[in-house]
Amino acid sequence: MSQEYVTFVRRLSQLSEGKQTLFIKDLTPGPRKYDTKLVRAELSKTASDGNTLWVRSETGYLYPQPWKIKILEELPPYVAGQPWQDVFAAMLQAK
Amino acid sequence: MGFNDLREFIATLERADELVRIKRECDWDMEVGAISRRNFEQSGPALLFEKIKDYPSGYTILNGPVATWSRVAIALGLPPDTPVRKLYAVYEERRDKSIKPEVVTSAPCQENVMSGSDVDVYKLPAPMVHDGDGGRYIGTWDIVVTKDPESGWTNWGMYRFMTHTRNMLTGWPQATSQLAMMMKSKYLPRKQSMPVAIVIGCEPLCHMVATDPYKPGLDEVEFAGGLRQSAVELVRCKTQDLMVPARAEVVIEGEVLADRIAHEGPFGEYPGYRSGTMAEGVLVQITAITHRSNPILTLSTLGIPPDDSSIAASLTAAIAMKRGLKRRGIPVKEVYVPPEGVTHLIVVSVERGGSRVARQVLDYFTARRVMVSKIIVVDQDVDAFDMGQVLHAFATKCHPGKGIAVEHYEGRANALTPCFSADERRRLKGASAVFDATWPEDWEQEVIPTKSAFATTYPDAVKQKVLANWDSDGLGEKS
Repeated sequence: MSQEYVTFVRRLSQLSEGKQTLFIKDLTPGPRKYDTKLVRAELSKTASDGNTLWVRSETGYLYPQPWKIKILEELPPYVAGQPWQDVFAAMLQAK
Repeated sequence: MGFNDLREFIATLERADELVRIKRECDWDMEVGAISRRNFEQSGPALLFEKIKDYPSGYTILNGPVATWSRVAIALGLPPDTPVRKLYAVYEERRDKSIKPEVVTSAPCQENVMSGSDVDVYKLPAPMVHDGDGGRYIGTWDIVVTKDPESGWTNWGMYRFMTHTRNMLTGWPQATSQLAMMMKSKYLPRKQSMPVAIVIGCEPLCHMVATDPYKPGLDEVEFAGGLRQSAVELVRCKTQDLMVPARAEVVIEGEVLADRIAHEGPFGEYPGYRSGTMAEGVLVQITAITHRSNPILTLSTLGIPPDDSSIAASLTAAIAMKRGLKRRGIPVKEVYVPPEGVTHLIVVSVERGGSRVARQVLDYFTARRVMVSKIIVVDQDVDAFDMGQVLHAFATKCHPGKGIAVEHYEGRANALTPCFSADERRRLKGASAVFDATWPEDWEQEVIPTKSAFATTYPDAVKQKVLANWDSDGLGEKS
């Protein structure tokens, strides 16, 4: 059964197709809904298979078209960085 | 004497018809938030959600403990209809008093303990407050306890915290907050994590003190005692060297990590918008969760005013601002923080006005971290608590060309100010303006426009005659 996730971006243009590392939240109903994972995943705007990835902006705006996501690897749920550092910048640095 | 705990306060609210129990099952996933938000927008009662989907019977959520002036009055032990000005006066009078806390060795907040691999924050019904938030916010009406490792100063603040995983939270104390200053100056240079306790569900005055901008170095718990007129009982955390209110409902113990971060936010915040603060917070590794049996999570479904934040901060911020202005020698008479202005708009009445005083007021508000973007300064004949009078003074006395002064700054702005651009918010760049609605200091009495009001326009003899006949003229009560 297809699972659904949501991720947050500063701008939609900053989300790219292909292999990406990103924080996602599991939308499976139940007491663990919205649990966060950091994953390496294959993202696609157009693929017909894979799980559903909803995308929201930094104001919580929900982009109407979901993407597809195939999780390749689950990583520890954090990145190296100092408090108040931009998480997206820290992820780029880690790359 | 203050309330011993949240449960006593809830019972008192119920007796005063200030609380409604929602007995049907409600979903923690937005339904609790939606009911609470609509209720706030009608200035409704505190809500106790008694049955939460996915959670055991007895696990409840309380929204809006002090979201109206009547509930603030009850929290202070005053009649519910106490006027706002009187609430300000009582708070100001009690704010200087401090009572040292009492340390206890066993506490209701530790009736149940999860630690080590048993820690699972999802065992508590943290709500998804608004659609589109970054996650479930367990810390909306909390007390966040941290300690200076050198001086031993214990700081209480109120900051948002979101569930991240079963044993991690992410949070967003502003980068200019006292928690941030402590972390940056005392822990990060040593590459040390900072012990933290997120306390949920205390009696209301402890939470209000956490919103009060006491100076660094002052232990808020002592002022909470003064405000309550009785000592706060503290107990040592199970896994951190921190003391927390013993009668709290829930305590999440952990460490703000010095070298790891994760996604946080966004969240519909107290200015009434979800304006884009995201992914620039802190990561907390939870080391223990302790809670009372049948825990009550306190929630404030923040958004457009009124809510707990806009009401409580109206009181706590105003008194702190008045003190600060007086310390600077500014002839302040009253400070009012209208809840509708969500601490972005402040009204200051002064004993003598003019552009120099207005500038001094602006300088005070922009000297350090800046949480305020607009200040209206009025003469003392204007009732600062009466926004009709304030608006009239602003409309008529603030010179559009000479009566507005603006201060620009960077690195210390309020990142939650919705009118600042995304780039400005990220750089903590902003501006504040003072609107001088006082008469210029160099205008002579003979040229100052005469206010055409009953109180200022007629001789005493005429006024007395009018008042003496008011009732018999069929015009109602004399006032």
